[in-house]
Order: sequence, then structure tokens, then C-alpha cells
Amino acid sequence: MLTLLKLELEKLFRAKSFYLSFIVLIGFVVLMLWGFYTYAARKTGGQAVEQFKYTYESKQYFNGLTFALYSVLFSFTLLLPIFVSMSAGSQIAGEACTGTLRMMCTRPISRASLVLAKFLVTALHAGLLLSFFIGLNLLVGLIFVGWGNLELYPGPLNLVDVPGKIMRDEALMRFAYAALSGTWALLVVAALALLCSVISDSPVQATVMTIAAYLMLYIVGRVEFFEHLRPYFFTTDMDFWRDVFKPDIPWQSLWQSACICGAYTTGLLLAAVVIFERKDIVT
Amino acid sequence: MWVKLILALLFGLMIAGAVHFKQPPELEEIKSANNVSFRLLTWNIGYAELEDDTRAHDKDLPAVAEVILRADPDAVALQELTGAAQLNVLIGLLQSKYRGSVAQYGRGDRFEAILIKDAHATFMPVAAGGRYGLSASFRSATANVVLLSAHADAFNAARRRVYTEDLIDWAEARTQSADVFIAGDFNFELKAANETNVYTDNLKHDSESYSYILRNFRDLGRDAGDTAINDRRIDYIFGPTKLRQVGRTEVLRNAAVGRMDHWPLLVEVNL
Repeated sequence: MLTLLKLELEKLFRAKSFYLSFIVLIGFVVLMLWGFYTYAARKTGGQAVEQFKYTYESKQYFNGLTFALYSVLFSFTLLLPIFVSMSAGSQIAGEACTGTLRMMCTRPISRASLVLAKFLVTALHAGLLLSFFIGLNLLVGLIFVGWGNLELYPGPLNLVDVPGKIMRDEALMRFAYAALSGTWALLVVAALALLCSVISDSPVQATVMTIAAYLMLYIVGRVEFFEHLRPYFFTTDMDFWRDVFKPDIPWQSLWQSACICGAYTTGLLLAAVVIFERKDIVT
Repeated sequence: MWVKLILALLFGLMIAGAVHFKQPPELEEIKSANNVSFRLLTWNIGYAELEDDTRAHDKDLPAVAEVILRADPDAVALQELTGAAQLNVLIGLLQSKYRGSVAQYGRGDRFEAILIKDAHATFMPVAAGGRYGLSASFRSATANVVLLSAHADAFNAARRRVYTEDLIDWAEARTQSADVFIAGDFNFELKAANETNVYTDNLKHDSESYSYILRNFRDLGRDAGDTAINDRRIDYIFGPTKLRQVGRTEVLRNAAVGRMDHWPLLVEVNL
């Protein structure tokens, strides 16, 4: 199993798409920075281009931590799942597409171990991606905006009902929690993509199927008329990761949603293993 | 085989964990009605946008009076009245248990009003953000009270912000000598989940306006739920942060008649 993991890791680090995902995230942060600069310039008539905070009622409100929070929250819903889907979707279907899957299965390894190793590598990719993104945002926030406490207002980001505050050191700890909770949430998408990858022989098809399913549930869940359907969508439970940014973390509901996400992940993974074991590999 | 076993075991554990951490349904907090010394009600009695005349309609006044008489508040903040004549009709229907005034100033076609049980109450218009609110000063059983009836712009968050800041600055200046309550329709859109954009300028304005109020006031109706159609909580009663006891807070959802799009918000406090 360890050898298998090592081989899969080597494949991951050699893949261009692995580095592409990080480059795109850097591009996103640059775009965020540009967006906030031009927003400040527009709102202050060019008077305070260098400091976004002057567009806010509370001058302490906008700082590097707030920048990082906005950036991570904006990107998490739509950007990160795409890369996770790409990574997981190409795991089995990619091998099938290039004709290496049949050869791999002739080796003395169980198919279940192969799926598990590929999933663990995808999980590592998701974790690295999110940790890198959070770290980059904090760094950019520190350099270009400056640090302070994390102040939260009701309304934007939909995190609190009343204004709240998290002290700087505690806020940094919360970003570390977010790297963990966010990765855990993304594993649902990874498991779904891996299942699609087992079913389909085309990595593009597997990725598109995953993204389509994710977006479909996400969009329907956002429509007010279908509010009653939300509890049945995994996209609703995936949102639990944001709770670590609430001044008082609602631990009980956080653990509940984390367990539901875990059930989705393990359930999908189990289905992927069962299907893959019975699959007639002809490519 | 062991991979499948581990996955099945983990799956079972996750399900068990989800059940274990499931929160019990929130029991409705039964708040004691004892020692309640002051009861406030706010209600925008205008109509929804679909109507030709979205101000309060005379034919609805008997129903409005009935709700007020049943709830028996010490003070009522009303919005979207057509003018003093309409208020006088309402006072008549209230069997003259209340005194009242209308803030019939400015260029608007609809006005805020206040009804008070105290016969010695005094009323004063409050200019804010190019509009006029109305204040009433009176004495409750235990304290001097100032009540503001407010109605912020329905269509422009930036104007709502200017109006709110002016109103709150006015109110804060009176908090030393009286318990100040601000009641009315602020039209704040704070549910980000309802916005198609994750972050908008309007949301930022409303968020900052609301936070500005909460610096020195308490949102007394926060747990009462939506106050208008389309799941909107846009009517508020703000009170002093030092309030000793907040009793019942309730949105009277069966009260609306005709094409009204708001429900009255009732708050009981012990001053």
C-alpha cells in the first residue's frame, strides 16, 4: 500500500494540472487584490487607493485577515471544487484513457487498495491546495493591507447575526481550522469525482459529471423557493467549514455536518470500490 | 476486503456521529410575562408594491385598531399613513385610549406616526437624511421614554444608511436622560443568501447601518422572525442595551389585512 501511495504521489507531482491549479489560485488572489483596489479608488474618488479600509464605516474592519476571509469564502464554493474534481476525476479514468489501467490491475495489488491510494493522493492535493490558498491570502493580506483583528458584520458573508470580533491570534488559528474543515468538506467532491472516474473511461466526462452534479445541487439549493430541499443536498452540509469563522463556533452543528460529509465521502468511496472491483477493464 | 470493511465501518461511524451530534429541536423559550412594564408595537400598515396606492387604506383602519386594542401596547409606531386625517380616524376607532401625532413634513406622500397611552406625551419631528421621522417623549410607570417612529428608503441602501446614521445620532444624544426606543421599517436586506451576488454594495451599506445602530442599541425583535412577506425581517424595534428584561417578542402574523405586506412586531420589556 505504501509503495502504491508513493507511486501515486510521484504521478501527482509530475502532473502539469497539479501546478496549474496553484497558478490559477495565485491569479485569483491577484484579481481579488485588483478588485479591492479599484473598489476603494472608485468609492473614495481616488483619495484612498492604497487603503480599502477607508471605504468602511469601521476603519478597523478591513485588514489582511478580512481580505483573506473574503478571498477564501468567495473561491471555496466554485473554484476549489473544480480543481478537486479535475484531480479526482482523472485518477481512474485517466489511467483507463491512457491505457495503463489494465496493466496496473495485472499487478499483485487489490483494486480496492488502488482506489484508496488514489483517493488519499487526491485528498492530499485538496489539502495542499486549500492550505496554500489560505497561506497565500494571509501573506498578501499582511503585505498589502496589514493585520488587525477579524471583525465581522451581519450581512456580507452571512456569518453572523450581530457584529462580532475575533482577536488576531485567535483568527489565525481559525484559518488553520478552516484548512482542515475545508479540506474535509472538499473530500465529498473528491469521492464523487472518483466514483464518476470509476464509472466513466474518460477523465473529462468524469470531471464534468462531478461539476455538473455539484453545481446543480448548489444552484437549486440557493433558490429560495426550494429551501425545503436544501437538507437533502451534500452541498448544504459542505458549508459547515465556514462555521469556524464565527466568533462562537457552533461545535455541535459543526461536528454533525462534518459527520454527514464524512458519511457521503465514505459511502461514495465504498460504492467506487465495489463498482471498480466488478468492472471489466477492456481499455 | 479490508479496505471495504474499513470504509463500511467509517461510514457507519459517520452516520452514528451525525445522529449523536444532531441538535435537539429548540424548545420555545417561555418568557415570563410577569413584571413587564412596557409594551411596544411597530407596524407598517402600507400595501405591497403591486397596488396603485401603497399607503395605508382607510378601509383597513378598523382592523388595525382591533389589533392594537387586542395587543394593548403602551406605545405604537406606525408607518405609511396618508396623513393626520387618517390618524385621527384611527384614534377614534381606538376609543380615544391613545394620543397620537403624524410627522407630516417634507416632500413624501406617506408619513410616520406614533400613538401613546400617556396623556402627557409630547411629539416632535426628527429630520434625518432628507426625510422626517417622529419622536414622542413620555413617562412610563418607571422611566422617561423616548420613542422614534422610523421609515427608511425602500429602494436605496445608501439613502437608508444616511437616514439611519442621522436618526441614531439624534437618538444617542437623548440616551442619558431617557430610555430611547427606535421602531419602524428600516428595509435592511441583510440575508446574503438571498442575494444573487455574494457581496454587494447594498449589502455593505445595510450591514454597516445595522451595525451602527447596534453600537448603542439592542435589536429587541431579533428572535421574532420575519416581519414582511417574502421572508424579510425589515421591521425592527431597537432599545437600550441596559434593559433588565425582555419579555415576549412576537410578530403578529395574522394581523395583516387587505394587501398589507408587513406584520406588526410586538415587544414587551421591563424598564
